Amino acid sequence: MNVLIIEDEKSLSHEIEIFLSNEGYQCDVAFNGKSASEKIYVNNYDFILLDIGLPDMNGLDILREAKEAGSESSFIILTARSGVEDKVAGLDMGADDYLAKPFSLLELQARMQAVMRRKHGLQKNTFMIHEFEVDIQNRSITCNGKNVPLTKKEFDLLNYLILHKNRVLTRMQLTEHIWGDILEDDYESNYIDVHIKNLRKKLSAQTQVDWIETVRGIGYRVNA
Amino acid sequence: MKLQLKFVLYNAFSKAVIILAIGAFLPIIVRQVVYNHIDQRLVARSDKILQIIGLGGLNEIILDQDCSYGSYNIFKEEFLSIEPLNHLDTEIGTIRIEDGERQFENEVLKHRVLSESFLFDNQLYNLEIGEGLSAIEQLNNTIWSFIIWTLIAVVVISVFIDVGFSRLLMRPLYKIINRKLRDTQHPTQFDTTRVNTTTFEFNYLDQNINEMMQKVKDAFLIEKEFINNASHELLTPISVLQNRFENLLAEKNLPDDVADKIVESQKTLRRLSKTVKALLLISKIENSQYLKNEDTDMRLLTHEVLAEIGERVVHKNIYLDEKWDDDFVFHHSNKSLLHTLILNIINNAIKYNKPDGKITIHGFMNAKNNFTLRISDTGVGIEKENLKNIFGRFKRFRPEDGSSFGLGLPIVQTIASFHGIEISVDSEKEKGTEFTAVFPRQ
Repeated sequence: MNVLIIEDEKSLSHEIEIFLSNEGYQCDVAFNGKSASEKIYVNNYDFILLDIGLPDMNGLDILREAKEAGSESSFIILTARSGVEDKVAGLDMGADDYLAKPFSLLELQARMQAVMRRKHGLQKNTFMIHEFEVDIQNRSITCNGKNVPLTKKEFDLLNYLILHKNRVLTRMQLTEHIWGDILEDDYESNYIDVHIKNLRKKLSAQTQVDWIETVRGIGYRVNA
Repeated sequence: MKLQLKFVLYNAFSKAVIILAIGAFLPIIVRQVVYNHIDQRLVARSDKILQIIGLGGLNEIILDQDCSYGSYNIFKEEFLSIEPLNHLDTEIGTIRIEDGERQFENEVLKHRVLSESFLFDNQLYNLEIGEGLSAIEQLNNTIWSFIIWTLIAVVVISVFIDVGFSRLLMRPLYKIINRKLRDTQHPTQFDTTRVNTTTFEFNYLDQNINEMMQKVKDAFLIEKEFINNASHELLTPISVLQNRFENLLAEKNLPDDVADKIVESQKTLRRLSKTVKALLLISKIENSQYLKNEDTDMRLLTHEVLAEIGERVVHKNIYLDEKWDDDFVFHHSNKSLLHTLILNIINNAIKYNKPDGKITIHGFMNAKNNFTLRISDTGVGIEKENLKNIFGRFKRFRPEDGSSFGLGLPIVQTIASFHGIEISVDSEKEKGTEFTAVFPRQ
């Protein structure tokens, strides 16, 4: 899958590039509107990550141009500008999602996958993780046909860990994912630990779940 | 009091004062003029009588044997008397004119009396000529009643005319007030069309308000631009660091102590990020960048919030008591901001609660018929002297454990004032805290 990262802050586009490349994406970068337009014209990208605060033009113009030219790329708007109108305008113009900076790269990847699923609805919505079958559409998890009753937050947590399998997710990253960032600095608290404990209890009632690993001092990892 | 009413009252009052002053002085002046006339007439008559006496002798007039003479007309309006005197009180020829009462046939009447002494046949006589004053008093009374009725009529008529005229005169002012000041909620809605008036002051006011509004509007837009730029300049480096830490943490063969440090740095960065975002949120609300165009059912909203953080309630084994005496749909509100407001209050109630504590949510109409939402907890409470500071952005105070209350409550305060909600807090140390939100009437 190939991605164009349009971002004038070079160190930021660099970090995004490192992350997405490690996740198996083909990355291309543009630091300004002009070169972005050219690249969109020439290439066919699956994803375009678009910073709308570019030095030479408004990123929304790139989006409009591309849509008018019939581009089928999925657009995710990235912005550190705070204007509420930007978000509405971007989505109205046909952007697929919107992420406010600072965002977690894990969150970016989760959004990209969600966009892919939405766009290509035929892709299968279930996958296996060890002996468990996860259904993203219906938000359920079964083991040998037996449903494991999880709360909404527990499912979100597990799904996020599975999505980023083989990578340590910190308590803070998990907190941010399931609570958003409205809440006060509660990441010190042990809510996540309690959720994981409950999750393990529910899953291990079916079969062994040693694939959910506690990484000392940092967080959790799903090994697969 | 309306300016128009003040004008009318002032006019009525000043007219009344002028008419009353005239009413007070006019009878005195009239009396003076009439007295002058009477006095002149009396003097002329006394001259004539003395002339008659000089020509024809006193016998022409005095027929009585006792040498005195008295005469009055049928209505006792005028009288003449000549009486001999035994001794002289005043010099001969001195004329005295004064008010006096004289009795005629058991009737005492007030007269203007001229008295003069004269010598005839070596006998002193006193001449008195009188003219009745009752006519003057009648005239005075007539003038008085005329003045009082005129006063009432003039004041009533002038009040009506003044009301009409001042309304016409003040119309441009009310236009300026209503159109430009009262109906305007946001600087970008300012109406700078000129109000049509020929009154210099209103023109001047209108022009100055327009200029002022333009300045406020410009300042607002500049502030908005500034917030946007500050947002970009502050959040971009935070973004770079956050993503770099994430990538670092994914490095293979990362020593444990380095991983720990990265996690610590992430936490620090998150704190910075949250503070910046909270300040930007407050600024954006104050800069009116949010719309108020939604209808928010406060009970449903509270349930949404509880569904979102209900697990925390369960986790801390807190008993949740919810009571809704009345429902309330908040028109012209911003649902997501109100969500943040309720979330922050309930989250505080959970965060500072004791394990196995209680949270009470009560929605009701207060005595003034304003919807009121009261959220109280049985938590650690806040010291009385700190209560006044909890909504302050800059006067921060710290709980004893050294942690921070953050900007949650300043955000609550900002969202509340954006919506015209009055937030108050009451707390007792170790007993609990109670937040009361009084919503504006629709």
